[in-house]
Amino acid sequence: MFLAFREMSRAKVRFGLLTVALGMLVFLILFQTSLQNGLLTSFVGAIRNQTAPVLVYSVDGQRVIQGSIITPDLEQLVEEADGVGEVGRIGQGTFSATNADGELTDVTVLGYEVQDLGAPAELVEGRYPESAGEAIGSSNDADAGFGLGETIVVQPGGYEITIVGLADDVQLNAGATLFVTYGDYVDAVKSVNPDAGDPLPNVLGVAPADGVGPEEVVTSVNGQSTDLDALTRSDAADETPGVAQVRQSFQVIFLLYGLVIPCVTGLFFLIITFQKSGALTLLRAIGAPAKRLVSSLLLQAVIIVAAGYAIGLALYTPLSQRRLGGIQLRFETTAVVVWAVLLLVLGIGSSLISARRVLKIDPIEATTGGANR
Amino acid sequence: MTQPALQMSDVRKVYSMADNEVVALDHATLTVGADEIIALVGPSGSGKTTLCSIAGGILSATEGSIAVGGEEITDYGDKELTTFRQNKVGFVFQSVNLVPFLNARENLLVVDELGRREGKPARDRADRLLDELGLADRAKNLPSQLSGGQKQRVAIGRALMNEPELVLFDEPTSALDTELGQQVMELIRSEMKSRGTAAIVVTHDERITSYCDRTVHITDGVLNAD
Repeated sequence: MFLAFREMSRAKVRFGLLTVALGMLVFLILFQTSLQNGLLTSFVGAIRNQTAPVLVYSVDGQRVIQGSIITPDLEQLVEEADGVGEVGRIGQGTFSATNADGELTDVTVLGYEVQDLGAPAELVEGRYPESAGEAIGSSNDADAGFGLGETIVVQPGGYEITIVGLADDVQLNAGATLFVTYGDYVDAVKSVNPDAGDPLPNVLGVAPADGVGPEEVVTSVNGQSTDLDALTRSDAADETPGVAQVRQSFQVIFLLYGLVIPCVTGLFFLIITFQKSGALTLLRAIGAPAKRLVSSLLLQAVIIVAAGYAIGLALYTPLSQRRLGGIQLRFETTAVVVWAVLLLVLGIGSSLISARRVLKIDPIEATTGGANR
Repeated sequence: MTQPALQMSDVRKVYSMADNEVVALDHATLTVGADEIIALVGPSGSGKTTLCSIAGGILSATEGSIAVGGEEITDYGDKELTTFRQNKVGFVFQSVNLVPFLNARENLLVVDELGRREGKPARDRADRLLDELGLADRAKNLPSQLSGGQKQRVAIGRALMNEPELVLFDEPTSALDTELGQQVMELIRSEMKSRGTAAIVVTHDERITSYCDRTVHITDGVLNAD
């Protein structure tokens, strides 16, 4: 401790710069974790946070709700599949609409036939729709003219929808999203295109029968027809086109950070170990156990990583509460804990190269001047 | 009866280099009294530093026995030698002598930190030593802020911090001019004698020998007493 703290206090700039550099990297890691999760939630939050345990698409839809069409034949096959309990229709349309502020904007309307098979799982404000023309909005869009009690007018038909409830993280495709009853969804579609007739459902929400798990239902429904593509709720969210690519891109970035941080820390400690090799040899010669010198080095690594992490966290915390465009950022507690442990391990691990060098110091070099070479 | 500070008997040090063996120390026998100062004089490569390193527990002998202050260290392993160096000997090396990121006082206190951890008694001893060495006003200076002579005095203070049985000085004046070298030797003698501590001063400068009680010559690893 004596040596570790004295050295750090005498080389504040050197250690300070490394700490700040690590802090900036930590900030970027945590911020991008929030950005990744916020981005994915805004893309597929409506799927992940709805009530249906299983969603059934048509294969042609390629796991995009709006691209999927469930014909009556397919619907019947799903209803007849083993292990299926209840089935409810879900429809999705993207409309132009005038929000409460009078601005014309795009809005995604999701219609569910059964509340337990397609409505938001939990409301943070208000209630579920009870009569025609009522909707649940996303709390993320509340400040953008989609707040509780506000009325949205679908254009050009003029169909009015009033928001009576709000749910967290139920956006689809990073835009304003409304959940309505299936009847309202049909009326909205018809108001825009009166000659279109009743639209077919896009996907089906399925609840397993008692004692049957969602995975079994998925297998059973997919066995009914090669035109059916059943997925559990989380798989449906994760396998929406684009999600895996976004996640993979961020993972590459995180991997790079995971390489940069130990490289920066490891090189720093290796350089200063080389620079002070004379002093370390002297200390070994006058009776410093090698383990004591290694402990001092590792303590410095822990302090630097911990201080860097604290700086990164201090920068991240206020920003993590903000909204970035249409994306709501959140403080990612799990990421904060996981990265803290990971970076500590990487930081210590990278300084072990220096520790190995310290362990190799032969005190005889103090008498030959070899430490200075 | 007082134990000798150093008792080396028939000590050999052989280095194996490829297919050859190099004898650095050849059947060296040397006894240093409890408060005796010995000048170890010899040309470069004669085995002076090897002898000091073995006496100080930095190097192990190939053959023979070594006792410092009555403690037999011949068969000590690395760990025991490290503890021995912490407690029984003091070193003043030729090249690197001070830890650059510790000030003068801390360079003395580090000896206590690595070993006994006495706390206040050690701090008092460090202050007393710095005072005796004329460095009281330089206690908070880093090595980079000290002159060559001041650095050497701090190194002497550090060598005395653990109240050793034996202090080993390896060419302590080689980096100093003649006048400063003499001052340092006077200081070494007075500090050793006032404490009753034994010392071996390795040198190739015959002028240094006048500050020592006895001179021992070494040539090709063989000791020849005057």
